Amino acid sequence: MTVSLYNPGEEQKSILVFLEHEGGVLANVSLELLGKGREMADGLHWSLAGLLMGHQVADLAHEAIAYGADEVWLGEHPLLQFFTIEAYAHTAFQAVSDGKPSVFLLGATPNGRDLAGRLAVRLRTGLNADCSGLRIDPDSGVLVSEVSGFGGGVLALIEMRTHRPQMATVRPGVFTPSEMDRNKNGKVIEIPLVLEEDMIQTQVVEREVGSGIDLTRTPVLVAGGRGIEGDFLMLQKLADLLGGDVGATRPPVDEGHIERQRQIGQTGVVCSPEVAICCGISGAFHFVVGIEKANTVIAINSDPEAPIFDYADYCIVGDVHQIIPEIITALRSEGEIAHA
Amino acid sequence: MPDLHMVVCVKVVPKSEEIRVDPETMHLIREGVRSEINPPDMNALEMALDLKDRHGGRVSLLSMGPPPFETYLQAALAMGADHVYLLSDRAFAGADTLATTYTLAQGIRKLGDVDIVFCGEESADGATGQVPSGLAEWLNVGQLTLLTNIEMDLKRGVARGHRELKGGYEILEVPLPVVVSVTTACNEPRFMDYRIKPWAFEAGRVTVWTAGDLDADENHIGFNGSPTVVSSLAEAPSRERKKQFLEGSPAEIAQLLLNVFREDLPQ
Amino acid sequence: MRIIKGNNLEVSPLEDEDLNAVRSSHIVLDDELWDRIIELTDGAAALCYQCGVCTASCPWGEVKKEPLSVRTFIRRAQLGLADGNESLWLCTACAQCEAYCPRGVNISDVFRGLRTIAWERRSVERGLPSMLWSLYWNGNPWSQPPSQRSLWAKNLDIPIFNPQHHEILLYIGCTSSYDHRAQKIAQSLASLLLAAGVQFGILGDEEPCCGEAVLSVGNKPYFKEVVRETLQVFQEKGVHKLVTISPHCFDVFQNHYPRVGGRDVILPIHYTQYLAQLVDEGRLNFSSTVRPNEKTNPSNEPIIDDTGEPNVIKITYQDPCFLGRHNSEYEAPRRLLEALPGVEIVEMEHSKVDGLCCGGGGGRMWLETFPGERFSDIRVVEASQSGASILATACPFCLVCLEDSVKGARLEDMQVLDVAEIAAMAL
Repeated sequence: MTVSLYNPGEEQKSILVFLEHEGGVLANVSLELLGKGREMADGLHWSLAGLLMGHQVADLAHEAIAYGADEVWLGEHPLLQFFTIEAYAHTAFQAVSDGKPSVFLLGATPNGRDLAGRLAVRLRTGLNADCSGLRIDPDSGVLVSEVSGFGGGVLALIEMRTHRPQMATVRPGVFTPSEMDRNKNGKVIEIPLVLEEDMIQTQVVEREVGSGIDLTRTPVLVAGGRGIEGDFLMLQKLADLLGGDVGATRPPVDEGHIERQRQIGQTGVVCSPEVAICCGISGAFHFVVGIEKANTVIAINSDPEAPIFDYADYCIVGDVHQIIPEIITALRSEGEIAHA
Repeated sequence: MPDLHMVVCVKVVPKSEEIRVDPETMHLIREGVRSEINPPDMNALEMALDLKDRHGGRVSLLSMGPPPFETYLQAALAMGADHVYLLSDRAFAGADTLATTYTLAQGIRKLGDVDIVFCGEESADGATGQVPSGLAEWLNVGQLTLLTNIEMDLKRGVARGHRELKGGYEILEVPLPVVVSVTTACNEPRFMDYRIKPWAFEAGRVTVWTAGDLDADENHIGFNGSPTVVSSLAEAPSRERKKQFLEGSPAEIAQLLLNVFREDLPQ
Repeated sequence: MRIIKGNNLEVSPLEDEDLNAVRSSHIVLDDELWDRIIELTDGAAALCYQCGVCTASCPWGEVKKEPLSVRTFIRRAQLGLADGNESLWLCTACAQCEAYCPRGVNISDVFRGLRTIAWERRSVERGLPSMLWSLYWNGNPWSQPPSQRSLWAKNLDIPIFNPQHHEILLYIGCTSSYDHRAQKIAQSLASLLLAAGVQFGILGDEEPCCGEAVLSVGNKPYFKEVVRETLQVFQEKGVHKLVTISPHCFDVFQNHYPRVGGRDVILPIHYTQYLAQLVDEGRLNFSSTVRPNEKTNPSNEPIIDDTGEPNVIKITYQDPCFLGRHNSEYEAPRRLLEALPGVEIVEMEHSKVDGLCCGGGGGRMWLETFPGERFSDIRVVEASQSGASILATACPFCLVCLEDSVKGARLEDMQVLDVAEIAAMAL
């Protein structure tokens, strides 16, 4: 039997959350994990810690405390300015070996996954990836993770009883952050670090954030067909509010309303968003193969007989030019309430 | 430097739409289910074969699973790979990510002088996406994940990877040997070459290695090497579309949709 | 090796060491490749005397400034030149050129042979390898789950084929199995067969692909493999006489499947031929007047004109290339339409042997055809000018392409329907 570096008998009753950040802001997924971590810790009278690594990021530690952390373990070093797997894995390994948390949660982001995969092996422990639900059994302290496989077709509950830390990654959007509380108290604990340049093999040659069209990964696809009569500006507004992107069927592309890279379907892009909103699209098979992998499909079409409704979860018979502006208004007013 | 030796890790997976769970035993029903090579692994293989086209060298396929997987791997061999190795032993059964990455790493060690290990971004069945970096850790080498493109600087012995990030990209350089994961659908896997296919499908073309061949520590393989246990398994609620018609004024419909967004969307 | 200097066709032998220098400035002929092209095209190109009728008759000339030079392709095949050329993938195998070729060259096959070589050289259009992989893993070229192949028949109670009880196998084909629009053809056809009292079955989820998509993009070796596997399934299931929906399936069974021992392993019939036969035999009778457009006439009552007579509905028929030119079947679908009460057939400017292709053959269903270059756009205008309100066809590819063009041209009075759908309305 494989043995982890520390076992349940040696664990601290705490939950550790990997705090990701970009451009001086904590990632949403990290706030969401702090929210979920707080909820689970409160139920068990455990403590919640954040693992923050970077260069000149101490401010973010206080932010994490305001979002629920009792402690922030801070790895502060110039070599941690950009994510490199060597420096981050080294620092995180040291922090986890010292602090021995029972549970260690990371966002299922590109960097979160890289780090989780490395650390699980280094710590000789298990890793529940892409969890859609988390719960800690109050008697045993065992983390029960819900994961799905086979394109969401199969749900499993996974646990580890003899290995620590109990690692899990969670996709963005699964949990909700707690209310921010600037008055909350917390401790910042510096991780004693020895990092040398030659430990780092990865060299970042070039880096650009925020460019390019990648419809294959968008969480929300707002697609327009002939029925929107070229009004992609309207769809773009909706997509922006939902954090998504705009796609199209062939006819609007043909008519020059939108670039061909945004064509969805057999001869275009195959998408797998959480939500696809099909506006004024009749539902030709050539298009439909491009949205079959969407979790939820919403279709708006004035023709009640349109085949698109056979492929949709929510079907709306009506004029897209009336309905979409209403959705935009509703989203905006909801946003204002949330910010108020 | 000598010829590039690339290894592509390939998994045979049942087709997602076809999979069912036996509610009594909570086991997956695999009988009669069509399988395929994990589609992201096909993108990894294409990237490796493309490098072979440009720089020469050889491509080995490495997989783990029961002997009936051989014919699937042979299809991948017919795309232009040179060798295929199947790690097959009852002792490997029940492996989670930790045990799987250990076993694959032992296979790669046995192959020796490997320059690049290619993996798909994730598997269609488990979808953990954790194998590439776990493998890199066992092998104690660098990693380049989520690449859409790779360039070699063979003189300096480094791989330069184009990595996709949310709404952007990164170009990273790592010295060889390196583990690479390839972004799903970033390229189009070539079809089998029928001049190669008869060779690829010859009996005995697949080299099968058992736990003994790998000199594997029995504490690290199969159930023994797996910290995680599946305590329950169930089919997710029906994946058929709901086809639910929403009615009301445009404003009312907008409110109904807001509820849908709240339920289904990342905040 | 032989070389051609410039445009001069003088051929001279070549020393090995000069090869590279020569490659840069001359067209190099490769004898091995030449042999291979001859082999792959059964020597079809050798018959050609370069008159150019093929180029002149090619429908690409209607939509492109530069016509597709079919003649040049044949010349290249004769000379053993096969270097990559994206125009190679334009050919829709409509066989318009073959209809006029004075030498009877099987030009579609020359193109398929050149495409076979393109596969070997990995210079194929993006999307085509994925299509073949889909067939390899899923058993259909549309990336659809094999377990959903017979979903179209879910509520129809059609039995699984049994050679003891059934006269025919109804062979659905991949497109009519999965494409929701084309599924309606299958459903209509099933209702016609039931009405005629035909004993028939289907193969359900176990129906194999005919392989036409593979042949059309020229991957001949994979096609051979598909044929072998499909025939094996047919043999196991006791299939002999089969009725196809798509003319593409029909053509490939009819003309590209092997014949063993002088006897056809399978006996394919296109459904228009079979239904026409049923009408002739008095087994299939039509009692209702065809009134298709539910939107303009929801009550489905005959429209009475000023004279008190019910209006006849004018239908024009698009000859699918693989039923018409490839298999010379122009009459059966028309006979069937004529048998329907209240129908008048009008012809388009070009029809039968000159009928314009929809653009979906030759693997083009899996490739993008850019706006302004779609044959179907021209075709629906012709259909509209014929005075017909229904554009009928008997091929799922035609149906999809033409319907798209009708929508694009906003021809709101024109409906595209399959012959089977129209006939089912007259039951």
